[in-house]
Amino acid sequence: MKIIYTDALIVGGGLAGLRSAIAAREKGLDTIVISMVPVKRSHSAAAQGGMQASLGNSVKGEGDNEDVHFSDTVKGSDWGCDQDVARMFVTTAPKAIRELAAWGVPWNRIGKGPREVIINGEKETIVEKEAAHGLINARDFGGTKKWRTCYTSDATGHSMLYAVANEALRLDVEIHDKKEAISIIHENGICGGVVARDLISGELIAYVARGTMLATGGYGRIYKQSTNAIICKGIGIAIALETGIVTLGNMEAVQFHPTPIVPSGILLTEGCRGDGGVLRDKDGHRFMPDYEPEKKELASRDVVSRRMIEHIRKGKGVPSPYGDHLWLDISILGREHIEKNLHDVQDISKTFNGIDPADEGEKGWMPVLPMQHYSMGGIRVKPNGESPAMKGLFCSGEASCWDLHGFNRLGGNSVSEAVVAGMIVGEYFANYCSETHLTTNTFTIQRFLEAQKHYLEEILSYDGGINIFDIKDRMRTIMQEKVGVFRNGKDLTDAVNELEDLFKMLKEITVTDKSLCSNPELNEAYRVTKMLKLALCAAKGALERTESRGAHFREDFSKRDDENWLKRTIATWTNPNDTMPTLSYEEIDISKMEMPPAFRGYGKKGAIILNPLSEKREEEIAKIKESLGSVDRFSVQEAVMPFDLQQEYKRKNERVGVGYD
Amino acid sequence: MSQKDSTVELLTGKGRLGKKSKIPARLDLLQSVTGLFLAIFITFHILFESSILFGKEAMYKLTKMFEGEPFIEGGEPLIITALAFVIFSMFIFHAFLAMRKFPDSYKEYQRYRAHSKLLKHDDTNLWFIQITTGFVMFFLGSIHLYMMMTEPGKIGPYASSDRIYSDWMWPMYLLLLIAVVLHSWVGIYRLIIKWGWFDGKDPRKNRKRSKLAIKTLIVIYLLLGLASLAVYMKIGYDHQDDYGSRYISESHT
Amino acid sequence: MINKSAQIEENKEGYREIKITVFRYNSQNKDAKPEYQTYKLVETPGMTLYIALIKIWSTMDHNLSFDFVCRAGICGSCSMVVNGKPKLACKTRTSEFEDGKITLLPLPTFKHIKDLSVDTGNWMNAMSKKMESWIHTKEVTDIAAIEKPVEPDVAQAVFELDRCIECGICLAACSTKVMKEDFVGAVGLNRVARFSIDPHDERTDEEFYELIGDDDGVFGCMSLMGCEDHCPKDLPLQTKIAYMRRKMVKV
Ligand SMILES: Cc1cc2nc3c(=O)[nH]c(=O)nc-3n(C[C@H](O)[C@H](O)[C@H](O)COP(=O)(O)OP(=O)(O)OC[C@H]3O[C@@H](n4cnc5c(N)ncnc54)[C@H](O)[C@@H]3O)c2cc1C
Ligand code: HEM
Ligand code: HEM
Ligand code: SF4
Ligand code: F3S
Ligand code: FES
Repeated sequence: MKIIYTDALIVGGGLAGLRSAIAAREKGLDTIVISMVPVKRSHSAAAQGGMQASLGNSVKGEGDNEDVHFSDTVKGSDWGCDQDVARMFVTTAPKAIRELAAWGVPWNRIGKGPREVIINGEKETIVEKEAAHGLINARDFGGTKKWRTCYTSDATGHSMLYAVANEALRLDVEIHDKKEAISIIHENGICGGVVARDLISGELIAYVARGTMLATGGYGRIYKQSTNAIICKGIGIAIALETGIVTLGNMEAVQFHPTPIVPSGILLTEGCRGDGGVLRDKDGHRFMPDYEPEKKELASRDVVSRRMIEHIRKGKGVPSPYGDHLWLDISILGREHIEKNLHDVQDISKTFNGIDPADEGEKGWMPVLPMQHYSMGGIRVKPNGESPAMKGLFCSGEASCWDLHGFNRLGGNSVSEAVVAGMIVGEYFANYCSETHLTTNTFTIQRFLEAQKHYLEEILSYDGGINIFDIKDRMRTIMQEKVGVFRNGKDLTDAVNELEDLFKMLKEITVTDKSLCSNPELNEAYRVTKMLKLALCAAKGALERTESRGAHFREDFSKRDDENWLKRTIATWTNPNDTMPTLSYEEIDISKMEMPPAFRGYGKKGAIILNPLSEKREEEIAKIKESLGSVDRFSVQEAVMPFDLQQEYKRKNERVGVGYD
Repeated sequence: MSQKDSTVELLTGKGRLGKKSKIPARLDLLQSVTGLFLAIFITFHILFESSILFGKEAMYKLTKMFEGEPFIEGGEPLIITALAFVIFSMFIFHAFLAMRKFPDSYKEYQRYRAHSKLLKHDDTNLWFIQITTGFVMFFLGSIHLYMMMTEPGKIGPYASSDRIYSDWMWPMYLLLLIAVVLHSWVGIYRLIIKWGWFDGKDPRKNRKRSKLAIKTLIVIYLLLGLASLAVYMKIGYDHQDDYGSRYISESHT
Repeated sequence: MINKSAQIEENKEGYREIKITVFRYNSQNKDAKPEYQTYKLVETPGMTLYIALIKIWSTMDHNLSFDFVCRAGICGSCSMVVNGKPKLACKTRTSEFEDGKITLLPLPTFKHIKDLSVDTGNWMNAMSKKMESWIHTKEVTDIAAIEKPVEPDVAQAVFELDRCIECGICLAACSTKVMKEDFVGAVGLNRVARFSIDPHDERTDEEFYELIGDDDGVFGCMSLMGCEDHCPKDLPLQTKIAYMRRKMVKV
């Protein structure tokens, strides 16, 4: 067992982790990133569609700014987000994208003059301004007022991740891959680092640091059908939970994406619909306009996913050996557009389904069905990214519940979040590391190492004959069937009970190979244990939350209930012997909001129980605005909801045509 | 002496100005230049050799022409020696450059073979052809060139045929022919790819086209060479009893 | 307990049986001997090697090691040698093999870990560092100001080369790399080509020469084209290596 000391330790080498590492290195800190897989293989690489930032370069983005992005994000979240964080985010996102451009991300650029696009399934010609020639382009994405999603064809995450990873290499960030964090070292409520397992040699290593950041991504793989990479098991979140102190937020807030391809679950980017692709049912009918006359296919993800399932339930799905599905039709965009801008989509469809989506008519339609896609929930952190429950433990990216996304995240907002959090939280984290000294004593470190060693040996000693893969499979099926797009009290109760039974069964497994090194079955055994804890948090959270908000939809409580449920679900695992998480709630304060809860503008009307405080706050805001007279939008914002952000990031963003206004 | 750039490079891996040596670039280019030159030489060589297909007189005239007959009465075989010397130097220089690419050790060779057998990849196999034919030529080509340098006078319809048939040179020529035709055309294909000569709008399609053209040329040149060799054999067979006697041009009689 | 995969197996009529032979060896264990192990399984429609290997792993042999991450042909983790050809396993459908016999080997030229798993991350990071695979510029960017404009075609051309996923297949398909350990391979040469056409990068050809101007770099490439013919991202490696070579001899 070995101990490695460093100033700043980052667990996870996706966009969030690597960008934070850069922030730490820029402060001159010795920085180590550990990752389960080589960092450039992190799931961030899979993001296809794009990154949101209100540059407003394209004519279709004219008039876009932080305010519009903010409002879209808050509505998207169904008012579940932390509006301070949303403000920090929208103000920094344009800077993030420009920084990435300077690091070499080959963003798609605007060519001046007329250009043919498809809007609403119709060809249209837009004319790009001379002044915008060569600036970063954007495409349309669900739930946004403006075209704001910047992209590199459909490999946005890949380009971003490579640029950030290479920058980290330039700065000599130390990267240790094939190392998995399996426990958090802590003492007196202060985090001291992690115990990690070398996935090659099986060796246990204590990484001890002044500050620790978890940027370990989402937990989508607790579902049977998910667009996530197979490493998205939420191990980082689970080890935080296992401290017994650290709190998780909104674990039931799980997003379903409308268009993964059937049956493999590989995502077909939202860009398909953003660019003008449409959804069709078994009769070839484009049904979304029937439900959402205004936004159609481009309503937010939760809404489109639900409408699709609703439509299938009406018997309009296309039957297949893998269940009913619907069609995604992008052939109307034309072969040239597809081959240039949706190359990967075409590639996926051809390879995995043998369908060329550029083929005209029915032949080119791709089978799609909503599946798990994003984890809004995660480790609860303050706006500076630090856990409120444990000092020195920071978290960023999908693993966190920073709370930018509330109950539904907008497409393109999460790679954006990952990078922006890497900048903002990364800097708070770096400051913390610079100002703090190592306090964890070696005895404690040794104790945590020993504990993990015993734990692994204990797993190997179980001999109940149950196959861990069966437990995993069952868990994922329960989540899929009972904690899915549509939820109800009965199913959720069943789910919670069954998951708890499964959890208890964990001591009856048998791991066939007894070796501690290069033993993929052993890896699975402890990972499934951690996953089950997260599944329980999500299922229990969903059961208790008797309302519908964003992606969380209860058939038995179909209204958003701001009166009782404008709060975050907080989960802890207080005692290691517990078989169920402990839930509590954190109020979301309307009286501080810049945008009090209202109707989102899409989805079912009249499905909200408004909180009277909403109206009161509206009036308050109106008064503040009145008292200000005619001042610029920044002053108004500052007066209504002042927020903290590093000076460098809070600066105004320049835009074509409007300068710094 | 220790002030030399090469000493600095020995110690630091870089030149005195902290720069990488430009030699590898020169060597790479020279390999291509010498290869191209040799290949062009061979394409003409085989064409000239095949003049025997048009009869002894044609070949005789051509030989004399190379000996500079239009200018020098009776021709001067030393011109051939000189030419052969130039070619030989080029040949050795090219071979020397190509050594860089050979497997350095048995281990490398073994790894290469195991890998290419697994991969079964066309262009990788072509390279194997190229190094084996290069290796073969290193010996056979040297013998041939040495003969041409030392006995430049002994070229002609009968002299050559006698050498091929009665002096038992034909097996060597047969091997050399196959080797040189394969090596030079494959070499040219490699040059096309290596420097991107015919990339055009669709480099992938053009690569296929180049390969097809090369394969066709290999067949044509092999047939041509074999036919010439056969004719030399025939002449040599008919002429074996007069071994050593020289051909007398029709224009002299 | 319901088991979905078992259900699929039940209606197996009409589906053929395939045989997958896997190279088994644990490089971490000094006593281990390399061997081949064959698994028989029923081929389901649309089965990829990812699906097949997960099936083998979860139902037949829990100790089998391999690397998948995205299982969508995006991350470059799952490269292995499939019947002699290096490929992304997750993008390879079992139905491509008519006789239903598939032999899987780990990717050569990388440090072997166990069974089908090799260490690509450390090699690729070292390569990226050696190729100084980042933008070099003296310009200081003000990230609040409008970004530097780039011609749309140029951005697109850079993107084309930026698509490399560091899967290592070009190295595993390159006999030069197999022989010469220090050769940077098509992945490295392509990386340099990518930065050389990026308008943000101010490096001159002389500076690029310092990175690849030797027999470990562009002059080591013998134009074997294994890279070009196997790259799962269809990168224009043939033309880009030639492009760099032309540039470098001119320095
Ligand atoms: C198919 C798909 C498409 C998407 N498209 C878009 C899009 O177009 N736009 C958008 O904004 N968002 C998109 N997203 C979402 C977005 O990609 C992710 O939310 C985001 O990239 C997460 O980044 P991250 O850095 O937080 O985590 P990740 O990139 O997932 O990185 C997690 C890192 O943590 C490491 N890790 C995990 N656990 C451990 C452990 N226990 N020990 C050590 N290391 C560990 C992993 O190895 C990895 O390096 C998409 C997601 C999917 C699934
Ligand atoms: C001693 C004899 C020879 C040897 C050992 C030899 C060896 C080689 C080798 C190994 C290569 C491959 C280099 C690479 O892959 O980069 C090569 C290339 C080449 N050879 Fe030869 N060769 C010999 C003679 C010849 C002759 C006689 C010709 C012409 C007829 C010739 C023409 C070429 C050409 C055109 C190339 C391609 C050049 C390049 O890739 O840059 N070679 N040779
Ligand atoms: C200046 C140099 C050269 C001269 C003068 C020369 C001359 C000749 C002559 C006269 C012959 C006929 C046979 C004979 O007389 O022995 C011949 C045949 C041949 N030479 Fe050369 N040669 C030269 C260089 C080369 C080189 C470099 C190669 C290849 C490496 C080569 C390959 C051959 C082959 C293969 C044949 C048999 C041709 C056939 O079958 O048609 N020659 N050469
Ligand atoms: S160049 Fe192609 S084959 Fe090589 S690593 Fe990149 S994607 Fe893989
Ligand atoms: S296979 Fe290797 S030799 Fe060159 S052309 Fe590709 S790098
Ligand atoms: S698993 Fe990512 S490419 Fe195959």
